[in-house]
Amino acid sequence: MNYTISSEFTPIIDAVEMHLVGKRETIALSLATFFARGHLLLEDIPGVGKTTLAKCLSQVLGLDFGRIQFTSDMLPSDILGINYYNQKEGSFIFRKGPIFSPFLLADEINRSMPKTQSALLQAMEEGIVTIDAVSYELNKPFFIIGTQNPYEEIGTFPLPNSQLDRFMCSFGIGYPDRVSERDIIRGKTENISTLDQPLLTQAQIEAYMKKASLATLSDTLLDFLQNIIEFTRNSGRFEYGLSTRGALALTAMAKSWAMLQGRDYVIPDDLQMISSVVCSHRLVFKEGTTTTKRIHDEIFTHIFPDI
Amino acid sequence: MKFLALLQNTNWKLTRIFPLTLLDMAYITVLLPIFIMLKAPMMLFSLIVLVILFFKKSPASKKLIFFIFMLGSLAIYLSLYGAFSFSGLSRLKIFLELLIYVLIVVVSMQRLTREINLYLIVSPFLFLALSLFFYHGMLMLVYVVFEVFFLLWMILAHRMEGSLVESFRSSMLMFMYSLPWVVVLFIFFPRISFEHANYGFKGEVIKRMGHDGTMFIDGNALLVPSERIVMEVGFEGEIPAEDTLYFRGSILYVDKKDHWKPLPAYPKRETRVNRPLQGKVSNYKVTLYPTQKRWLYLLDMPKKEVKGSTLDRDLITRVDKNIKEPVHYLASSLLSHTFYDVLDEATYRASTLYYKDRNPQAYIVAQEIKNKYPLKEKRASAVVDFFKAQALTYTLQPDALDINRSTDSFLFDKRRGYCVHYASSFVTMARMTGIPSRIVTGYKSDKSESLDNYLVVKEKDAHAWAELYINSQWVRFETTTTARYIDMQNQLNSIQQENPTLQSINLYLMYVKYQVETWILYYSHARQLQLLDYAKKNPMFIVVFVLSLIVLLIITFVIIAYLRRPMYSSEALYILQPLLKSLKKRGYTRKKEESIHQFLLHYISDNPQHLEVKEIDILYEKILYASNTSKLELVLLKKLIKKSLATH
Repeated sequence: MNYTISSEFTPIIDAVEMHLVGKRETIALSLATFFARGHLLLEDIPGVGKTTLAKCLSQVLGLDFGRIQFTSDMLPSDILGINYYNQKEGSFIFRKGPIFSPFLLADEINRSMPKTQSALLQAMEEGIVTIDAVSYELNKPFFIIGTQNPYEEIGTFPLPNSQLDRFMCSFGIGYPDRVSERDIIRGKTENISTLDQPLLTQAQIEAYMKKASLATLSDTLLDFLQNIIEFTRNSGRFEYGLSTRGALALTAMAKSWAMLQGRDYVIPDDLQMISSVVCSHRLVFKEGTTTTKRIHDEIFTHIFPDI
Repeated sequence: MKFLALLQNTNWKLTRIFPLTLLDMAYITVLLPIFIMLKAPMMLFSLIVLVILFFKKSPASKKLIFFIFMLGSLAIYLSLYGAFSFSGLSRLKIFLELLIYVLIVVVSMQRLTREINLYLIVSPFLFLALSLFFYHGMLMLVYVVFEVFFLLWMILAHRMEGSLVESFRSSMLMFMYSLPWVVVLFIFFPRISFEHANYGFKGEVIKRMGHDGTMFIDGNALLVPSERIVMEVGFEGEIPAEDTLYFRGSILYVDKKDHWKPLPAYPKRETRVNRPLQGKVSNYKVTLYPTQKRWLYLLDMPKKEVKGSTLDRDLITRVDKNIKEPVHYLASSLLSHTFYDVLDEATYRASTLYYKDRNPQAYIVAQEIKNKYPLKEKRASAVVDFFKAQALTYTLQPDALDINRSTDSFLFDKRRGYCVHYASSFVTMARMTGIPSRIVTGYKSDKSESLDNYLVVKEKDAHAWAELYINSQWVRFETTTTARYIDMQNQLNSIQQENPTLQSINLYLMYVKYQVETWILYYSHARQLQLLDYAKKNPMFIVVFVLSLIVLLIITFVIIAYLRRPMYSSEALYILQPLLKSLKKRGYTRKKEESIHQFLLHYISDNPQHLEVKEIDILYEKILYASNTSKLELVLLKKLIKKSLATH
């Protein structure tokens, strides 16, 4: 897939790439998800750099990094926070949970109980947390990178599709290529000093997010987009089609991706680029395994822009 | 409203129509004219089938189909019950009707199975062919063209997997491609000359048209103030002056007290005499609508007989049979109010017979005139003067005359009447003065209903006038001009002028219809020769003709280009075509799944020296997808492409 990241954003990607060698596309997609005000679900085996990606990205963006390691005995309050009784003052005081960090890594979500999962996902969707009838607004921007182990393991609670829908994108990181891996093994990445200060200010982040949401969607492109959505619904290849939230996710991602390339309008290539990562956790093939590449191939061998 | 919203929200480009729906659309189109002519039971049957089709979406059971078969048979029986008459053409009509009815029942049975089979596919064409027997004329011609187009569209839509928009464009293109050929072949292809094939069933309803063979002076025999069209006349050149527009019908000799009659067929009179021709020649073609009479109407005085008719010695153009369907004839007349004749015995006796005891008052006056003037023309003008002196009124609502003394009653008592009364009294008095005279009935037209060289004669133009034999010539006398007063309130014109706009629109429509009929429906070998002749004489005509053909060609190709253009889903893509073609020559063909952007990038990665292509790519994307692009950018794209094509 051809794309050129605009010079505005190359320093960010370069900075992250120093730690996550050879994964420019993954980094760019993560950044696009962030600017699209979405959340990201990383599905991959342990040890390919999911945490590294999240950490580096938070540093570059200058956001406080929070992390929750999900386990089967976790309770919602472990995420959201708790009202505890302060004996000195003789009153209940709210202690914020990790969800109040603007950049949250939710590691291995599928290890926790559905109750805890849904507490997180509700917060993701609404941006508000309600504890003991008091509502607390979450930080803005608020970005969650959830990770999930793709293989069936003992003691996991797979996320239901309705909840997976809350994540805008989902992809894996994959193994690094031979050259990159050699560099990692040699220890080149360890010597790199961390950034002194973030590359973007809060105001810049807000501006980029706004810019991404304002990108133009022409009628021609909307035709193409709707053709894709209709294909997922009517082709009979998938268990069920893309939801309207899915369609919105497609749009937001495409706009954000267009912005990353310095455009204020979306072109079909943007949609082709981001469709598979937006759809991979939303669509399930009736037959055979569901992979990002297969989704991309299935859709775009049937639906293509005629212009 | 819901339906409208649905229409708006439907993306027709992507909509696919099921074959059965396409078939239904074809059926609706071809059955429309047939449905109108269906008899009530058959119509009821069709409606029942439609209701079943509408509410029962599953294939019909064998029982239901059998029921429909029985119902259909019953409907056919009821429709044709009592219609059997084994005479003339009506037998063929019954047969065709039966055929249509059976076809409808069979199609209904097949359609209820909700499966497509050969019967269902072939039947629309059969319906189309059968409907031609029942209708004729302009409207059907237009409708048939539409039907052919529609069926073609439906077939193409079926072939193109139900895409309505694409198939419409394709069928339009097919029509446009064939248009110049059709026009050229239509004009130049040698035509077989034959009588107009007036197929179809006509003259079913006998309509009374104009005056009868007899002329009543008591009743309203001639007074049919109707807007019904009697004939349409197309003149070669301009329409002659109004005072010559006398269309000659039949001639009445015999005074039967309350009505006038033509001469009986026996004893036979001598055939007509040769006479010198005089007057201005006028050629014209006439479309005469059914009159149920045995004569045609020609302008005074007919020059020669119309093909298929005879011109008798009174210059009546006689035909063998009653006119039951529209006739078209080319006629030629000498515009004159007189013609030379030698009276034979029978004609003389008939045209001088009068009854002096019936109208004693008129007789006295006539005798005075007769004694005073020895010359016939003087006597005639004296009668005219006498009429004028009587202070007569022209009205369409006269008081009833005393039939036993109609002339006296009209001239001395009532003094009110219309053409019939004037002509009748005038002829009576002329005969009393010793001038052989007779009444001519026909139509007197004015130019109010005319356009260019086209004239419409209506029922209300029916007229009667007198012809007097003076100095070996029959001379026309317009008797109504002797009226001193005209009763305006009862004028027909006052009724007509209620809505002049509507009237003129109507006339224009008729004119168009008439032109199409004469130039398309009745375009014949003779007309072809006429055209050729004209072309030989006027070389300019050839130039104009060729030019108009070229214009037609250009228009056709513009339309074709226009139709082809939207094949590209945007104007920018259309502009891009030359570049894509040139890239194709260099071995770069866009893959189906590639977007233009990807394709161009693919090219640029192989040929990085072609920087313009990159520019084009960026601009192209901007035009297509950015929010505020203007025409200017399209022009810029065009320029860039030109430049890029020039450089390599």
